[in-house]
Amino acid sequence: MNNTTHFGFKDVATEDKQNLVKGVFDSVASKYDLMNDVLSFGAHRLWKRYTIASSNVKIGDKVLDIAGGTGDLAISFRKKVGESGHVILSDINAAMLGEGRKNLINKGVFGVDFVQLNAQYLPFADNSFDCVSIAFGLRNVTDKDQALSEMYRILKPGGCLLILEFSKTDSEFLKKFYDFYSFNVMPTLGEIIADDKESYQYLAESIRKHPDQETLKDMVLNAGFGFCEYHNLSGGIVALHKGIKV
Amino acid sequence: MQHFALEQALNYLIQTGEIDLKPLDNKTIRFSLQDLPLDVNFVCTNDRIFVISDTNRNSDVDISLGASVFFALFKGEDLTDLLRQDKIVIHGDVKTAQLLVDLLQTVDIDLEEVLSQYTGDIVAHKAGKIAKNFKKIAQKSSNPLDAIKDGLSALLITPTVSKLYKKDRH
Ligand SMILES: C[S@@+](CC[C@H](N)C(=O)[O-])C[C@H]1O[C@@H](n2cnc3c(N)ncnc32)[C@H](O)[C@@H]1O
Repeated sequence: MNNTTHFGFKDVATEDKQNLVKGVFDSVASKYDLMNDVLSFGAHRLWKRYTIASSNVKIGDKVLDIAGGTGDLAISFRKKVGESGHVILSDINAAMLGEGRKNLINKGVFGVDFVQLNAQYLPFADNSFDCVSIAFGLRNVTDKDQALSEMYRILKPGGCLLILEFSKTDSEFLKKFYDFYSFNVMPTLGEIIADDKESYQYLAESIRKHPDQETLKDMVLNAGFGFCEYHNLSGGIVALHKGIKV
Repeated sequence: MQHFALEQALNYLIQTGEIDLKPLDNKTIRFSLQDLPLDVNFVCTNDRIFVISDTNRNSDVDISLGASVFFALFKGEDLTDLLRQDKIVIHGDVKTAQLLVDLLQTVDIDLEEVLSQYTGDIVAHKAGKIAKNFKKIAQKSSNPLDAIKDGLSALLITPTVSKLYKKDRH
């Protein structure tokens, strides 16, 4: 692995990135859900709903949500897999996982397991999950290829990987609007609502550093998946990559 | 959007009809309708069907037919008769094709309605059809609101599927 990697637009020592990302999410954890709604005008709920609907998950399935934060996907998966299924909500960050646990209890959702883990080292047996999801999390992972290989390893043959992440839009208009919005409006709103301009500056920058749709698709295939296709949502601002292990 | 609807519809039918997909496990079936822009792979695996737009990958069987023949199949017309009349073209493993047809014939749904999405070119018209279709599924579903919400969300964020799907591994 290289000695340096990016943290937003900055170059940092590879071994430092994880701690820097931790700092960001420690800091935003308590306001995370509110900020998500404000910053995306509520659209993150639609993107997540589409992700769940595309998952092909059914009763009895075993699902792992990685970088699951406050648990939006885990809650919906829980409903889909029923009593006989199993859902694990995981995140590297204890503060985010804590918010997730609170959120699930508040919503009366039980029967979800919580695991604190790094996407690069998944503590599960080979071929054990029907579906693995990661929403708005992969761009924060230091070694994405390693994380994708781990996801591939723990999925059963026929298992489905879902990656929901900000991506690149082709529309010039959307691009301009989005640049202005993420580098000016987002950090300012972060400062006003969460008193944390820097974290939201990082989030905006990390989106730009994330691989585009085609690059990520190749990364998924290189990790071993037999199929990968992506669906652009909201003009490509967000993309859902779906990989199938054959 | 169409793949999303097709995948949803097929898997919904398989689940509610308690159809056993095991005989088709690990089979990839390329399915194209000659007179409609539909050319997809049905990847049957882990007791479900994934509808994938990548048609570069080698499939076990290629089925190509006209839309009207497709609907005839659903209405129970015999595959062998249609084959004899050259109304349906099959390359590859005919047994797999027969299994798929058997499976589709056990399914009781107005697929004409699902596929009508492919023909409409006016967005509003399409949206209406999709909504209607979801409503229909919803009526049978244990949680009708969920199915309608899924349909509406999908319309709002206008998903489009990538053109290239699979690295060439031949
Ligand atoms: C933007 S939040 C997304 C939360 C949730 N999935 C959602 O969509 O609302 C990103 C999450 O990724 C987690 N994360 C960052 N690096 C990670 C890693 N290496 N492994 C697992 N989780 C990680 C963070 O702690 C944070 O909770």
